Amino acid sequence: MALSVGLFAQLLVNTLQIGAVYVLFALGLTLVFGVMKVINFAHGQFFTLAALVIAATMPEFTARFGMPAWLDYFVCFGLAFIIVGILGAVLYFVGFERYLRDLVGSFILSVGLLLFLEGIYLWLFGGAPRVVPKLLEGQVSLAGGAMESQRLVICAIALAATAALYQLVAKTRMGKALRAVAEDREAAMLQGIRYRRISFYGFMIGSGLAAISGGLIAPLTAITPALGNDYLAKAFIIIIIGGLGSIPGAILGGFLIAAVESFAGYFLDLSYATIAMFVLVMVFLLVRPQGILGVAER
Amino acid sequence: MSEPILRAENISRRFGGLLAVSEFNFDIRPGEVLGLIGPNGAGKSTTFNVISGYYKPTSGHITFLGQDVTGLSTVAMSRRGLVRTFQHGSLLKGMSVRDNILMGTLRSLRDNAAREKRIAETAEMVGLADMLDMVAGSLPHGHQRMLSIAIGFAARPKLLCLDEPLAGLNHTEMGAALAVMQRIRDDFGTTILLVDHNMRAIMQICERIVVLNYGRKLAEGTPAEIRNNPDVIRAYLGDGE
Amino acid sequence: MTGNKTGWFVTAAITAALLGYTLVGDDEYTQHLLMWSALNAVLAVGLRFMLLVGETNIATGAFYGMGAYVAAVFTTKWNLPFPLALLAGGVLAVGVGALFGVITLRTKGPYFMLISFAFTEVVRLIYTRVEWLGGNSGIIGVFPPQGLDPYMPALTILLCGALILMMYLCEASNLGRVFQAIENNDAIVETVGIDVMHVKLLCLVIAAFALGVAGANHAFVYNVISPGDFSYLVPVFALAYVKIGGDNHVAGSILGAVLLTVLAQALQGAGALQHILFGGAIIASMLVLPDGIWGGVGRLLRKARGGAA
Repeated sequence: MALSVGLFAQLLVNTLQIGAVYVLFALGLTLVFGVMKVINFAHGQFFTLAALVIAATMPEFTARFGMPAWLDYFVCFGLAFIIVGILGAVLYFVGFERYLRDLVGSFILSVGLLLFLEGIYLWLFGGAPRVVPKLLEGQVSLAGGAMESQRLVICAIALAATAALYQLVAKTRMGKALRAVAEDREAAMLQGIRYRRISFYGFMIGSGLAAISGGLIAPLTAITPALGNDYLAKAFIIIIIGGLGSIPGAILGGFLIAAVESFAGYFLDLSYATIAMFVLVMVFLLVRPQGILGVAER
Repeated sequence: MSEPILRAENISRRFGGLLAVSEFNFDIRPGEVLGLIGPNGAGKSTTFNVISGYYKPTSGHITFLGQDVTGLSTVAMSRRGLVRTFQHGSLLKGMSVRDNILMGTLRSLRDNAAREKRIAETAEMVGLADMLDMVAGSLPHGHQRMLSIAIGFAARPKLLCLDEPLAGLNHTEMGAALAVMQRIRDDFGTTILLVDHNMRAIMQICERIVVLNYGRKLAEGTPAEIRNNPDVIRAYLGDGE
Repeated sequence: MTGNKTGWFVTAAITAALLGYTLVGDDEYTQHLLMWSALNAVLAVGLRFMLLVGETNIATGAFYGMGAYVAAVFTTKWNLPFPLALLAGGVLAVGVGALFGVITLRTKGPYFMLISFAFTEVVRLIYTRVEWLGGNSGIIGVFPPQGLDPYMPALTILLCGALILMMYLCEASNLGRVFQAIENNDAIVETVGIDVMHVKLLCLVIAAFALGVAGANHAFVYNVISPGDFSYLVPVFALAYVKIGGDNHVAGSILGAVLLTVLAQALQGAGALQHILFGGAIIASMLVLPDGIWGGVGRLLRKARGGAA
């Protein structure tokens, strides 16, 4: 099967679109690890909740206020964001704060949370797949193929959000504090950075990113309470390849995985592509455990 | 004239662009207590780490007991009879004093009864005989330092390398620690390499002293010679010490 | 701790009672529950065994699965005897585990955990792609020899008990102390001439053997195996058994495994409720009892004894 320019372009756009969502999701996971040294297995539950809230509330809004779909979407997106934020704060104060820097303990807690929340979602929203109504009509011609307009817009928003986050981490004081704590907690504390406070902000930003990516994926897929689980496994691969705790690494890794999925998935069976990804991860961990852009520990 | 127990020939160690130690030569004579000193940043830790196998030298050779051991790991060096301690936390905080010292005996003794005997003997030497069941992390600082020395000594090494063992000790504790080191050398014939900042202690216990500055050997000699060496004095005063 | 006579006596008494029950009683459901609990107990103890050196090894699930697949192949495809199938499970797990360990044990902590996670998933995916192993559907018809069938519960308890005992004895020996020392400060262990990599590898191999044999046992207990039975969730749940039961003692892992196996069965088919209660149990125990039930009970007993004295 030859790779024509048109096909290549389509796969590339697909990569960008899938990748942007992966990146946002993985960024949240890696940020939380970098600052709190915690691997949050329940990270996907924020993602899922955002998507579920949007899918559940949009029909209500449309019925009551009769606004255009895309406006409804933004309002419900905001609502979802707030709800996830509240959940994140609760989980932090009730649970994760106690297990800061405890890898195994926080991991188990998050496994419990994953199950618990999935059960709650099943109970509240039911297991039947939900779909978000179309936001934008029409298609766009792109390099010999056609893509849905809304897909393109969402891709653009995701990329913009990624860029915004990168700026946030690189330029703002908060961002610098997050990076300082991730690199050397004691040195950061000596400089007056309040660790507990930064951990909280890091966790909130992490869950916010999961919410945003969940909201962005909502119009593009069928939503069930188990939605986050697949993304979680991929996010693990991404942050390993990119380097645990590394933000540029998560961005690089996210697009890399999306590329492998797009291209390898098109030419080969998806399972083989997945196996290949996992083997890649293992090789990475052996050859360069700190990831492409991570910092080596000694 | 006996062979040196350890010879470092032209040792250099580079970290990226920084040459931490360059063309460093010295011998450690069997049975002596040798001090390694120098102002902050002089390269003492690096030299110490190279000798004990923690770092590989960028160039140069190390001979221990007549054999080339350049680049061998800490484990390999230990099996040949060179044991080192660490500057910070050189002990197993969550385990009992007995289990800490036990670790030192595991490779050198096969029999559990012999190990128990050596644990008791070693603990008695460092003054921890009635604290064997206490958790190491709960000991006061001075006792923890003694325990660090005990762990290394329990392996009955030929050369015991102590990395700033006296840091944070008060006057009495320091006296006790120096007495232990003296006993280790006098009663067991163990050679001791000592790196520390405490000048008085070094002058008191070391028979020979090597001084490092800017990664190079500045001076070598007896405490009296070093004390009066103008280069050494300048190196320390010049650094505002 | 090996000298704790009360502990040994109680353990022996409980084991004898269980064996007696499985041989005499006829409640099939309970017998199955006992077998499932026993297998989960080995998973928990095996995972905890590597926690002793400070490593969270998700690949313990892969070793368990390998044991099951070997037993299934030996029995259904090659008609080899039952005891050989059990042993082969352990042997293969040791072989693969040793190779895995040599390559991956140079990493530590979160990196090792994630690589073991990836390994477990790769192995599971490979099972789904290999037709000879039944692909996605797995292998059916894994039965013990006919005469042995009514004794499977007793045999399972004995075998699992023996595997747990083996790991406990290792832990109580000087080897176990070296494990603990490595977990405390591995640099110190190296300074006294002990090769930390070798010891960690030994730890992994011992656990792999126990898990491989238990996995083989699993195949004969469930009679049907498929790739989905050996996903990363298995060792993750085992980790929950360890933490909820109490990670300070082997007994905690056994307790956690039994309690949660029973709980999972009680909630079977309850849909959302199953997730909520199971997850809730894990969360509650992590928040309220960080050193697990065993630790909590221990504290209560000490208070009672202290108060009485």
